Amino acid sequence: MISITGILGITFGAAIFTFVLHHLIPKLRNIVAILAVGTTGYIAWQLPVDSYLMHFTIGSFDIVWGNSEYSQLFALLISVLGFFALLYSHDFMKGKKRLGYYYMNFLIAIGSMYGIVYSQDLLSLFFFWEIMTWSSFMLIIYCCKDSQQIGLKYFIFSAIGAYAILTALILIYVNLGSITFIKIFSDFGSMSFGVQLSAVILLLVGFGVKSAVMPLHVWAPESYSISPSPFTAIFSGALSKMGVFGIGIVLFKLAAQGGYYIYVKEILAWIGGITALLATFYAVFQTDAKKLLAYSSIGQLGYIVVGLAIGTPLSIMSALFLTILHAAFKAALFLATGAVYHRTGTTDMNEVSGLIRKMPYTFLTALMGIIAVSGVPPLGGFAGKWMLYQSLIQSDHYFLVIIVFASSTAAFLYLYRFIFSLFLGQEEKEFADVKEVSWLMRIPMLSLAIFTLVVGVMPGLLLDPISGAMGYLGVTASEFETTVIWNAWGNKIDMFTIMNSIGVLFVIAASFITIKGFKRGRYVTTKDIHTSGEVPTENENLTYAVDFYKPFERALGRVLKPSVDKFYNSVSNTLEDLFDHLRYVYTGNGQTYAMYVVLFLVILIVFSEMIFGVKL
Amino acid sequence: MDINWIKILGLILTPVIAFFVGALYGGLARVVTARIQNRFGPPAWQNLFDIIKLYSKSTSIHHGVMQHLGPVWAITASTTTLLFIPILRDSVFFSNLSFDGDLIFLMYIMVFGSLGMALGAGQTGNPNSAIGVSRGLSQLVGYKVPFILSLVALMVQFKTTNLNDLLAVQDSFIHWNIFQSPFAFMAGILAFLGMMGYKPFDIVFAPAEIASGPPSEFGSKYLGMMLTSRSIFTFAKLVLFTDIFLGGADNIFSLLIKTFLLYMIPLFVGIVNPRFRTEQSVRFFWGWPTVFGILAIIIAVQ
Repeated sequence: MISITGILGITFGAAIFTFVLHHLIPKLRNIVAILAVGTTGYIAWQLPVDSYLMHFTIGSFDIVWGNSEYSQLFALLISVLGFFALLYSHDFMKGKKRLGYYYMNFLIAIGSMYGIVYSQDLLSLFFFWEIMTWSSFMLIIYCCKDSQQIGLKYFIFSAIGAYAILTALILIYVNLGSITFIKIFSDFGSMSFGVQLSAVILLLVGFGVKSAVMPLHVWAPESYSISPSPFTAIFSGALSKMGVFGIGIVLFKLAAQGGYYIYVKEILAWIGGITALLATFYAVFQTDAKKLLAYSSIGQLGYIVVGLAIGTPLSIMSALFLTILHAAFKAALFLATGAVYHRTGTTDMNEVSGLIRKMPYTFLTALMGIIAVSGVPPLGGFAGKWMLYQSLIQSDHYFLVIIVFASSTAAFLYLYRFIFSLFLGQEEKEFADVKEVSWLMRIPMLSLAIFTLVVGVMPGLLLDPISGAMGYLGVTASEFETTVIWNAWGNKIDMFTIMNSIGVLFVIAASFITIKGFKRGRYVTTKDIHTSGEVPTENENLTYAVDFYKPFERALGRVLKPSVDKFYNSVSNTLEDLFDHLRYVYTGNGQTYAMYVVLFLVILIVFSEMIFGVKL
Repeated sequence: MDINWIKILGLILTPVIAFFVGALYGGLARVVTARIQNRFGPPAWQNLFDIIKLYSKSTSIHHGVMQHLGPVWAITASTTTLLFIPILRDSVFFSNLSFDGDLIFLMYIMVFGSLGMALGAGQTGNPNSAIGVSRGLSQLVGYKVPFILSLVALMVQFKTTNLNDLLAVQDSFIHWNIFQSPFAFMAGILAFLGMMGYKPFDIVFAPAEIASGPPSEFGSKYLGMMLTSRSIFTFAKLVLFTDIFLGGADNIFSLLIKTFLLYMIPLFVGIVNPRFRTEQSVRFFWGWPTVFGILAIIIAVQ
């Protein structure tokens, strides 16, 4: 069973099986799904590294599936994240309708992602890419009727991406006569300049849609926020990473062979940087927690794109490090938000407030999540950000580093808003009887949060497989040890010392203040506060949540006014008008169509000499 | 593994010294302000006594774990910041952990404390605290931009991100970075005004308007720990700027002179200026200070 066919067979088989089981023995359905993903994770871990594991032909196309260190990194990401998300789904989705549909599409999405990372030719990559789009579309429209419009937007952008990939595929096939990766990687440089450049741009557009690079991001905020929380974790954690997977291959395996490489890199890096900055600013002003996290995801993927596009060993290391880490912390945050939704029924940050004492574990997850996102040491985000800044400064991208740094600082705003609105602040009566979620939901969240701490202190654990994956991309990893990372100038950062310093000081200070004060202290409610002499009445609203960052919004002024979304909407409105005119032709009336047929025949007869060369 | 006792003694003593110096500077600032306003003001060691008094009080209420740990978090961050900054040049005793971290690490760890305090203040549910945090974080985004610009300029100029290397290149008076890279200094010192939180950038704590903002629910030991943290952090920031721009210090006396003079800059600016609104201060930092920072980078690249 240790084979790619095994992995794909198990996931796709389990997808159908769960659908059937849903109608026969619903209880088994969840367990089958969890086991299937767990097993494939084990197989992905054991799978030998060989780029030619499976081979067959369809028509004149060679289909090759294989495994590389690069594929393995992403496959393990998919399986671990999929496993946790399914574990979480067990209680989260309890009592919801159409669970067979949900689990089937969930497993198909996971299977198709496996397919993408194991594809060693463009055709199967495209094939699995489409399956992934379809299954994720199904899960976006799972929730409710309003979701169809949002699903449609996602689908249109995915279609643009897919056809970009398809066009590139045809271009390459016409010019090289083959679409296997081995052939493309070795001969890509032999194609003419124009073909090369258009193939690279088309592929980058195709992969850029999934990783929500601006201006192709407009589908993401709504699609992320409307899909069920466990799948949002996959959506942001793994599915968007397929775009990163593709961009990595395009940049280092294909574009690196041409003279335009340096320009493509620079432009992509700037697009990534601007994506990071603008998405962060948008995130600051969101009122829905999931939308906030969605914009945050777009921003974080911006960093990853910057890292890949810079292309120095340290920057690629940081990009892949952030890829894995972003999957962990963003999934943890989405799952924590899901837990809040599970208990309170909303993710509106203006409504929910003061859940910390009711949901301490969820709060802990969210806390570690936001620390990791913000890049504050000692959690994992710091090591990734550190590598990114170092590589940006050392590769002479001085202004890009400012943009990236500004967006990373602005991230504090939305992260604080997120945790403050949901967990801190006034405790509302409305949520007085909210309870913590079950352990089956806590374990996935907490495991992901703890993972960010572990790789934060020992980044070397994660950098080991990453340096293997970089070998596949043809780049040698820069110098690192388990807890120490060096930059290109020989300066180092020692996470172990940092963790020790923070840990020791925290324990000393915490025990001092706890022994001296906490025991004798009595808990007072959030109404019992200093209000300059006025005693708040019982129903007085003391929550500060609406327009949390109004001053910052004023400071930004008109920066956020222009919207790509509006541009797309105007395009779609114009097209709609155009198609309305087409309705005069396609009236939907049978008689009109019959008349068209007759007219067509008349034209054929009249002009038959011109068209066929024979007179009828 | 042989244990370097001198370094361990340094690690223990540095925060203590920082606390006393920082608290004393706070007191001196009050005296100087009073003299300018033609008052006499409290004695210079008043802040020190206040903090010691606060530690002797016992608290009878708390607002939950996060509020309880907020000051702990703040003091952890400020002390860690201090330990990763070399206090004196070429001193084993005071080099502490500065070889294991660098400027980018310092930039992040400096925010760690504000984040902890913000979380602690958040749990109290006091709307004034939340308003203060909202303003503080907005202002943070403002002054971080010129600050990073000036640091990047120096990093690029000397091809290092470690503070010890930056100290090493400033080996004589004329090689101080204030002269080698004046625009970086200008951007840095303007960002420093925002960091210190005196007027015109004190809207975060605005005592008369939002009752001191974030720390308004903290009393007794919590407040004591917070003030301790603030004293240590003040000293850490002063030493950091001395190391970056004023060539560090060879002995403790020149360190005290340099840091005290540096401390007087935000104080004097504050005494003669009214308060900015949040958006005004953010815009201020994105204006001239940022331009200076960009100029500094352009000159450094040349």
